[in-house]
Amino acid sequence: MSTSDLDRQIAQLRRCEVIKESEVKALCAKAREILVEESNVQRVDAPVTICGDIHGQFYDLKELFQVGGDVPDTNYLFMGDFVDRGFFSVETFLLLLALKVRYPDRITLIRGNHESRQITQVYGFYDECLRKYGSVNVWRYCTEIFDYLSLSALIDDKILCVHGGLSPAINTLDAIRTIDRKQEVPHDGPMCDLLWSDPEDIDGWGLSPRGAGYLFGSDIAAQFNQTNNLDLICRAHQLVMDGYKLHFNGSVVTVWSAPNYCYRCGNVAAILELDEHLNTNYKIFNAAPQQENRGAPVKKPQADYFL
Amino acid sequence: MATPMDEGDDSLYPIAVLIDELKNDDVQLRLNSIRRLSTIGLALGEERTRVELVPFLNDSIDDEDEVLQALAEELGNFVPLVGGPEHAHTLLAPLESLAGVEETAVREKAVLSLRKIAESLDVAQLDTHLVPLVHRLATGDWFTSRISACGLFAAAYRLNNDAKKAELRQSFAQLCIDETPMVRRAAAAKFGEFAGVIEPAFVKTELMTAFTALAQDEQDSVRLLAVEGGVAIARLLTPAENETLIMPSVRAAAVDKSWRVRYMLADKLIDLQRAVGTEITKADLLNFFVALLKDNEAEVRTIASQKIPDFANNLDEDVRLNAVLTLMMPCVKELSNDNSQHVRSALASVVMLLAPILGRDHTVEHLLPVFLQLLKDEFPEVRLNIISKLDCVNRVIGIDMLSQSLLPAIVDLAEDRQWRVRLAIIEYIPLLASQLGVEFFDEKLSNLCMTWLGDCVFSIREAATLNIKKLVDTFGLDWARSSIIPKVLSMYRHPNYLYRMTTLFAVNLLIDVVDVDSLTHMILPVVLPMAKDTVPNVRFNVAKTLEKIAMRISKDVIETHMKPVLQSLQEDGDGDVKYFATHALEAAGV
Repeated sequence: MSTSDLDRQIAQLRRCEVIKESEVKALCAKAREILVEESNVQRVDAPVTICGDIHGQFYDLKELFQVGGDVPDTNYLFMGDFVDRGFFSVETFLLLLALKVRYPDRITLIRGNHESRQITQVYGFYDECLRKYGSVNVWRYCTEIFDYLSLSALIDDKILCVHGGLSPAINTLDAIRTIDRKQEVPHDGPMCDLLWSDPEDIDGWGLSPRGAGYLFGSDIAAQFNQTNNLDLICRAHQLVMDGYKLHFNGSVVTVWSAPNYCYRCGNVAAILELDEHLNTNYKIFNAAPQQENRGAPVKKPQADYFL
Repeated sequence: MATPMDEGDDSLYPIAVLIDELKNDDVQLRLNSIRRLSTIGLALGEERTRVELVPFLNDSIDDEDEVLQALAEELGNFVPLVGGPEHAHTLLAPLESLAGVEETAVREKAVLSLRKIAESLDVAQLDTHLVPLVHRLATGDWFTSRISACGLFAAAYRLNNDAKKAELRQSFAQLCIDETPMVRRAAAAKFGEFAGVIEPAFVKTELMTAFTALAQDEQDSVRLLAVEGGVAIARLLTPAENETLIMPSVRAAAVDKSWRVRYMLADKLIDLQRAVGTEITKADLLNFFVALLKDNEAEVRTIASQKIPDFANNLDEDVRLNAVLTLMMPCVKELSNDNSQHVRSALASVVMLLAPILGRDHTVEHLLPVFLQLLKDEFPEVRLNIISKLDCVNRVIGIDMLSQSLLPAIVDLAEDRQWRVRLAIIEYIPLLASQLGVEFFDEKLSNLCMTWLGDCVFSIREAATLNIKKLVDTFGLDWARSSIIPKVLSMYRHPNYLYRMTTLFAVNLLIDVVDVDSLTHMILPVVLPMAKDTVPNVRFNVAKTLEKIAMRISKDVIETHMKPVLQSLQEDGDGDVKYFATHALEAAGV
């Protein structure tokens, strides 16, 4: 796959047009070569702009780029949950993946709990692939790539980025590094917890109402940051109405990048711009205009039936 | 060995398959086969299509709605296949059945096809075939066929026989007072069309009773459709006739207890205004319009607000200005404070169009306060609507006046929280600049343009760089060299890489509009050191920028100054920097 092919595919995906199944296959093969080299705690240099859940809201992702700047000029780190719920999971994930393959040093993708075979079969990505390609091959290629996505990123040794949060089985960054990540997200254990846990105003650990991962209190976060010489844990995973939310005196932050989540929650979204001196700058943005035209694609209910 | 006879049968074999498919259990196959009906008809020939295929289709009308809908549509194109207009009436029977089924989509297609076929029928065919069909549908037991009938009267009326015409009119009038509201609704929807084809004398007499009945119907869904019919009739009548025949219903509609009827009247008011003429407009419609602008329902006020300039322009010239000033402007002032954002947004999108009517002085006195009010509206769409129409006012009161009164508001909006509002303002700046002139610009707007270059939203920074380029186009090179280029270049020291890159993005656009000397001696000396930036993104944008600069400057400068820098970037540790540096070296041909 040449650079010009890739540039053409990126241009096509930016217009929210899907690329051919054979192109997806080649793209995923190329992405695997890049991702397999990445560590479970992928090193990232500042400056970088950190983004939370996108959930297939393609036009809102374009809005995000309008606010934050385009790849490759701006560096990005996406903390997972690219797919499910929105109407354009296919275009969203493939665009991000194509940008990753074209500019591996400019964009970092880590895994969210929705980057999973089981979850995508329930929350929309599986059906969307089937609808847009007529077969589940694209879903299969994408979910295989999910297994290669890194579990976390470490910015200038000071800021840890992870989709969900901490795990009682993990005290050090090295403990994350020893996980064999190339598998479906397990139902429990350290890898599951990183993608599923939430911060909560409690002492120590608590049971998560989600049925996976844990709730962790400020003492846990403080201990972890001290042990690993970190300033901040940056995570996504939970809808916050103002786009971002600081927890535990600023030792943990939630960043959420899907405005008007599910096209009806009425929340704003945020991205976190870290400059080259690790100064934090939160940018708030709204859903893309004319959502009513772009939200639900024109419905063709009988399509499956006729095919 | 095949005999000539067998050959003939072979050629019909695909047809047999298709006809077989029409009987197949699989809906999909039947549907495909219907879609290819014209092919079957063509192959069968005109006569067999008439005597075999159409009757066969007529018999197979008990099918799924999808299939019937397709059939109804296909039959409308069958006139040439049954042998042209003289045989077109043979198609009426199956369509009549289809026009009577329960499913609306099928009936609508059948009626469309019937109307299409009716066009090709001659008067005698209408008389013997279509008119009886209309009567049968109009008196059908089941209301669905009566609904279909409503759509056929206009098509059937092209007769020579006065008695039969009278029967059609009576039949239509009967449907206007049908016991089923759905039928009355269909009649009301087709009222204007039918009124358009019958003799004006009968419009005033027979049809007027029917219209009055519809306009007073107990169902508001019927009454609102009657409004449109009323407009259609009004076009056919003299002002005096309109006064006695139509205006009573209009008066009733204006105070109808259902807001949907009042909404419809507001929506059709401009058409009505044109139909009834200026005298009635002055005497009556003007007051109704003012009342609709003050309506209790926001929906009605929204639609009425949208009509303000059109309504005003349709007024007689001798009363226009006075009516706008004394009657409409007080409403406009109230609407600019309306509770509903949709009302204010509608007003904002049209209110500027009153400026040419009011003229300079009145615009300044009455309209400007409204603009300023709406420019400060809390709802961004309202502000945007005002900004995007500023040029209308501009033409009336002149840019000086506009800038004096609006500049403070524009400066406010330049810092609006919504970046799309800021964007709209930026896009307006080149126009403003060209009309204000360079001195005024330097004094009042120049800083603003520099602020946007440092905006926190990328799209605003991007628009700001484009704005800079347009300003150089407008004010020329000398101004660029003394005023803008130094300011743009000074941003290269910004602590954040995103803003340092803005310098490069601006330079990229300026390359095409500045002279070689400025490029070589002002711009290049700033760009080259940026190749040592700590952030790779800045470095590869330097490479990209140098590639563009190389197109314009001398070989010597490229060789001595640019080439060493690009070569060092080619050795960079970052892959993207290497890639773009290599690309630039190749493009520069050194």
